[in-house]
Amino acid sequence: MTKFTLNGQPVEVDNPPEELLLLVIRDGIGLKGTKYGCGAAMCGACTVHVDGEASFACQLSVGDVEGADITTIEGLSEDGSHPLQKAWVAEQVPQCGYCQSGQIMRAAALLSENPKPSREEIVDYMSANLCRCGTYNRIFKAVERAAQEV
Amino acid sequence: MTPQKTHAKLSRRGFLKASVGLSFMVGAGGLIAIETQAAGSPALDVNPWMTIRADGTISIIFPSTEMGQSSYSTLPQILAEELDADWGDVIIEQLNEDDRTFGNPAFGGVLYTAGSTGVEGYFDPMRKAGAQARDVLLQIAAREMGVDKETLITEPSAVVAPDGTRISYGALATAGTDGVQIPKADDVPLKSFDAFRIIGHDIPRRDVPGKSTGKAVYAIDVTLPGMAFACIQRAPVEGESPVSVNDAEVRAMPGVLDVVLLPDAVAVVAETYWTALIARGTLDITWSETSPFRAYSSENTMNLYAREAESPSQTPAVWAENGDALAAISQADTNLTHAYLSDYAYHAQIEPMAAVAHVDADGKGAEVWAGTQTQSWTTNTVMEVLDTTQDRVRLNMMTMGGGFGRRTAFVQDYVRDALLCSKSVGKPVKVIWTREDDVKNGVFRPLAVQRMSGGVSSDGKLTGFHHRVATPTVIGFFNPGRWNAVKPNDVISMRGAESKFYAIPDFLADHVITQRQARLSPYRGIGAAYTGFAAEAFMDELAEAAGRDPLDFRLDLVEGNPRGRHLLEKVAEMSGWRNRGDRAMGLAFAGYHSSMAAGVVEINLDQDSGEIALENMWIAADAGLIVSPDNAHNQIEGAAVFGISCALSERIDIEAGEVMQNNFWDYDITRAYQVPPIEIYMAQVNEHPTGVGELGLPFVPPAIANAFHAVTGKRLRHMPFTRDRVLDALNS
Ligand code: FES
Ligand code: FES
Repeated sequence: MTKFTLNGQPVEVDNPPEELLLLVIRDGIGLKGTKYGCGAAMCGACTVHVDGEASFACQLSVGDVEGADITTIEGLSEDGSHPLQKAWVAEQVPQCGYCQSGQIMRAAALLSENPKPSREEIVDYMSANLCRCGTYNRIFKAVERAAQEV
Repeated sequence: MTPQKTHAKLSRRGFLKASVGLSFMVGAGGLIAIETQAAGSPALDVNPWMTIRADGTISIIFPSTEMGQSSYSTLPQILAEELDADWGDVIIEQLNEDDRTFGNPAFGGVLYTAGSTGVEGYFDPMRKAGAQARDVLLQIAAREMGVDKETLITEPSAVVAPDGTRISYGALATAGTDGVQIPKADDVPLKSFDAFRIIGHDIPRRDVPGKSTGKAVYAIDVTLPGMAFACIQRAPVEGESPVSVNDAEVRAMPGVLDVVLLPDAVAVVAETYWTALIARGTLDITWSETSPFRAYSSENTMNLYAREAESPSQTPAVWAENGDALAAISQADTNLTHAYLSDYAYHAQIEPMAAVAHVDADGKGAEVWAGTQTQSWTTNTVMEVLDTTQDRVRLNMMTMGGGFGRRTAFVQDYVRDALLCSKSVGKPVKVIWTREDDVKNGVFRPLAVQRMSGGVSSDGKLTGFHHRVATPTVIGFFNPGRWNAVKPNDVISMRGAESKFYAIPDFLADHVITQRQARLSPYRGIGAAYTGFAAEAFMDELAEAAGRDPLDFRLDLVEGNPRGRHLLEKVAEMSGWRNRGDRAMGLAFAGYHSSMAAGVVEINLDQDSGEIALENMWIAADAGLIVSPDNAHNQIEGAAVFGISCALSERIDIEAGEVMQNNFWDYDITRAYQVPPIEIYMAQVNEHPTGVGELGLPFVPPAIANAFHAVTGKRLRHMPFTRDRVLDALNS
């Protein structure tokens, strides 16, 4: 039995402790906004917050997060009203959209660490996440827009 | 979670009491039938393109599939425009079956989403049908109001009489069709482009909120009650099959439901994906190891194609010809010949292959959830695998986490895997390929050797150009039936080699169709992803031989192409080309089909490491009329970003028939820090739209190679320009 907090709610799961957190979140708990892209810390599609830090859910076993506070894209806001989500709409960032939960979660961790990042800091930080559709310049603009709002 | 089936929607009409609306059936020539949806009437035997309901909602079918290009929004916008609909009233419905009434005119009616053809192919029929439907509504309004139709006008979703009386489209749709005639498509006037309210305006994409909150549902997310999960171990080399496997042992593992032998793979089906993944790791499979593909490695393949380019064993297939290029080149004051090489490349869509299948108890029918670029070939896959008929196939076309050509095959192996596993365990099964599976079993942009020759006159003009491409047929592999119809012309292998935006007096592009030594597929930009590189990097070599500026040399060739000329002049102005001094800038003019793009890049070269970084990029593009400008901008920029790693790092190697790369750690695609500021200009042209999905890609590799030459005086002729190749060029 592993206990942790997910999007503000206490949860208990009985998956084997070595099972990937990503699979537990997606298939066990049923929150599908967090994506699988590589399973290798290379793409960031699986980015969630673990105790406030952007983390690759494909690199954690569920046993690792005992007692931790985890936030997924579903918990970032109730209704898509997080400044980053509004900025994503305003800048019309997504194409296929598959990477975007991870991009937004990484950007959210950046803004909570550094509310007014420079363009360089944004580019640096966001380089952990891949977007094959090539929406990077829009991502940068959307993060800057959100940073002005918070 | 999944879109409603069109038929199901119609058959529920029986529950409603009054006439509920009006449906419009469309064929290639425009509107062919209208039908009142009255209470209790039987389901229509054709699917309507559009239904206007009493509540004013207007459902429009989206006949393509969505992989990020937003055509699910742009195609219905075209119909809505001529209908004069209020876009807010429009409901978009995914077409979920192989109903060729909706076929893509650009692909002979096959339901196939590729090659940036959606808007181009559907533009005219959708406009005509929308205008005819509007005329039908005007006729009904005239009858109801007792006035002459000619006195009526439309405003968004309503007909308005001169005295200000207005009837909404919803109300007209329930008024019955007595006395209404379907006008001939050619008799109905279309809007002039400057009267458009939807086309050419920025309509926000409807999928953006869902894609910004994690709510968008992809095939990999589909969950059904009682669903099992499959992890597939595929043969390491094409053409091999499992000979023996420790299936009894693996089947006995807790949570494992079955081990299924597939023609070229072994699948583990389990209660959870985690169990399937772990159990797959314990498979001990002996493969047949008899495939001729074991003899192939990409290095040898490159050598073979290079020999074939030099002296083909068969007569090359002429792709485009004008005058006598070979004579013109041999008689030129100066001539030169160089080989341009490019490696295999992988799509790297971020959602790996995934599909869910639920095979019926009798094994002769199935419901399938998959992200593919074609309803037609996915239907074909199910029919072939289950040996069944089309009426037993129920598709759910899911939005895709990227396509780029990866999901176009005539037989789709990941769909096949899900079907066979589901059939075997009698439950719905979700197949997910891991990233490694997706790379190792990728279908690639073909490896190519291009032999370029050209001649220039002593007064600095291009006199002859020969573009020879030695590469296999791609169509022959991923859709053999199609190849029989089009052979020896392979647009997937050859696109771009026609250099059609230039007027070159003596020109030849030909295709040496080499032996296929890997799995192949269309890839973003198709042939233009490498032919554009060779054509435009070599163009700079010719300009140098002619002693001309690369821009001036090209301007001579676009005298008969004022739209192209405008792009070259525009991008020169945007980038400050004429005053570039010794900045590391390179120019290229390429395009895709009938869409054109002139681009300039500025690079920064680290001479020690061989790393090329992009500092700036400017693009001037012309794709005819732009239906959704902001989305077009996003598409062009995205393709250019794709082009950066295509040029710098994307490379698949094959040794003894096996793919050497594994994941994003050894297959690098563009990351955020590698993206320069990109300035895009889109020409305002009122001409037929020609597509924006690939347009931004082909100019990028040659522009980078040309910029490299500007700083080093050396040429890069082997794509990608990896650090070792850059260092080799520097030391040459
Ligand atoms: S899936 Fe976790 S980093 Fe790619
Ligand atoms: S939007 Fe498609 S991968 Fe980022």
